[in-house]
Amino acid sequence: MASVLVVDDERDVAEAIEAVLAHAGFTVITAESAAQALEHVAAHKFDIVVTDIIMPKVNGLELIRKLRARYPRVRVIAISGGGSFGPLSLKPEAISTHAFIAAAKDAGAEDVLTKPFDMDDLLAAVRRHLPN
Amino acid sequence: MGRLINTLRARLIAVVLVIHAALVPLLYLGVSAIVEEGYADSFVNSVRSFSRLTADELEAVDEKDFALRAVALLDGVMLSGQVVFTEVIDGSLRFRSSLQPESAPVQRPDDFDFGDHGDQVYYISHSIKRGARHVLLRLGFDEAPTLQRIAAAKERTLTAVLTFTLASLIVSVWLSSVIARPMVRLQEAAKRVAGGDVHARLQMSSSISEVQELNQVLESMRQELVGANERLACEIREREVSERKRLDLERRLLHRERIATIGTLAGGVAHEFNNILTPILLYSQLALNDTPPGSARAHDLGRIVAAAHRARSLIKRILTFSREMDSTEVGAFSLRSTVEEALALMRAIVPSNVEITLDAQEEDIRVSGDPSLVHQVIINLCTNAYQAMRRSGGRLLIRLWSTDEPIEGQEEAGRSAVLEVTDTGHGIDASVIAHVFEPFFTTRDVGEGTGLGLSVVHGIVSSMGGAITVESTVDQGTTFRVYLPIARSAAPALAGDSA
Repeated sequence: MASVLVVDDERDVAEAIEAVLAHAGFTVITAESAAQALEHVAAHKFDIVVTDIIMPKVNGLELIRKLRARYPRVRVIAISGGGSFGPLSLKPEAISTHAFIAAAKDAGAEDVLTKPFDMDDLLAAVRRHLPN
Repeated sequence: MGRLINTLRARLIAVVLVIHAALVPLLYLGVSAIVEEGYADSFVNSVRSFSRLTADELEAVDEKDFALRAVALLDGVMLSGQVVFTEVIDGSLRFRSSLQPESAPVQRPDDFDFGDHGDQVYYISHSIKRGARHVLLRLGFDEAPTLQRIAAAKERTLTAVLTFTLASLIVSVWLSSVIARPMVRLQEAAKRVAGGDVHARLQMSSSISEVQELNQVLESMRQELVGANERLACEIREREVSERKRLDLERRLLHRERIATIGTLAGGVAHEFNNILTPILLYSQLALNDTPPGSARAHDLGRIVAAAHRARSLIKRILTFSREMDSTEVGAFSLRSTVEEALALMRAIVPSNVEITLDAQEEDIRVSGDPSLVHQVIINLCTNAYQAMRRSGGRLLIRLWSTDEPIEGQEEAGRSAVLEVTDTGHGIDASVIAHVFEPFFTTRDVGEGTGLGLSVVHGIVSSMGGAITVESTVDQGTTFRVYLPIARSAAPALAGDSA
């Protein structure tokens, strides 16, 4: 049974993802911050990490890089808010659709899902990257 | 102005008057003295010759009836009208003319001076030898006629002198007018110019060279003034034009900022909404999964899922709309004019210790896309550049050229436009340079920057099918290079594109 770590500072989102994955038979742990996430990864073995990349005090991309560097076997799936966050310049969509996706992939994420994603899309992405 | 005339005229007239007052009396006195002396001398001479003649006659008188003959002689002398007193003293005998009034003037010793003694008589005496004895002849001549003639002559002299003085006065008045009039006219003309009518020519001819010169000098001053006025007016017009341009730029900047605010709002709200929608969608889909299909519950849950999907696309449309609000339709536009526009804005923002230079090739480079996105790219790159040079100043060089090489990693072959932004700032450390395009990545202090500027640039450039590279040396500077595909000639031009 594969294990998944879900990282998102929004508890509702993390728990909803957890519910979906748990229902599908995965072992799921949630974390609210990159620090917590790293603690969990150090303590347990995870196959997949699903992480939000736009989080306030945390640099989600930094987390992805660290995970890839220290735990290369772990696959990371990034999820992004789809809007914008914080004081920005003119083109929010340009950021969310391109820069974040490109940056996440550059950092080592296997896939990027934009919220709100369908349950089926989430399951497909996780299953796709399971170590087989 | 009246006072000037009066002063000039008054001075001239006063000077003339003073000179006359000083000299004319002297002149008069001198002339009168000469005239008087002339008359006096002439009188004395004639008196003397007359009396000498009379003396000679008396000397020649027969001794017989000497007394009678003497008196007859004296009578004859009296009849001449010049004499008012006659006397012959022969020893103890005194003979007088019978015509002499009794109240004849008392004897006096001889006058030798005309007009002396106030009695208007000139006495003269002769000693005549008659035989052995001496006879004394005394004659008193009437000075009155001569005195009258002298007085008359003096009067004529006075009249002449006064006439001369009057004539001088008139001439001086006229002369002062001659001098003052052109000056007054010049003054009036100069006053007109000073009053604002700078186009009134100062034109007058005068025979006085100083006045003529003054006229020329004033005229050239006036022309200088006209020239200066026109230059000022020209400069004011230019300033007004650049002021209007500046206001226009400000207005456009403000507009963009407003759009940005809306975009930010939409973006921020969208982010939250998406976070809220995620559990809604996931839980309802999860529940739907466990519900027998076709059941009433399945139907209801399906409605929730559908509603969540509608919400999702609505937010997507709002985001797209807020982006499209300040962009024109996608088409081909001139890269150079977009760059120049952005630089105009930068020049207004950037401090004066940073020098901005644009080196662009002559040929017009056209790219497809949204010019306001390219605008954004340039603003962001230039902002980063000048902030790297904020403390010590430096140079910001923007270069624009085209190359035949296609963009790396892009499928489309074709020519590329290259936009290069170089600064001489503090540079980017090698350990950091790989992350510069990451969202939220910043080396600045909290509150100084969001770390999103370059990620926006990266996003825009990627969406336009281009690429961006960075090179940097610490303490020397940084160069960003943006590659954009050049528009195919078939691409439609943007409405309002001026290139």
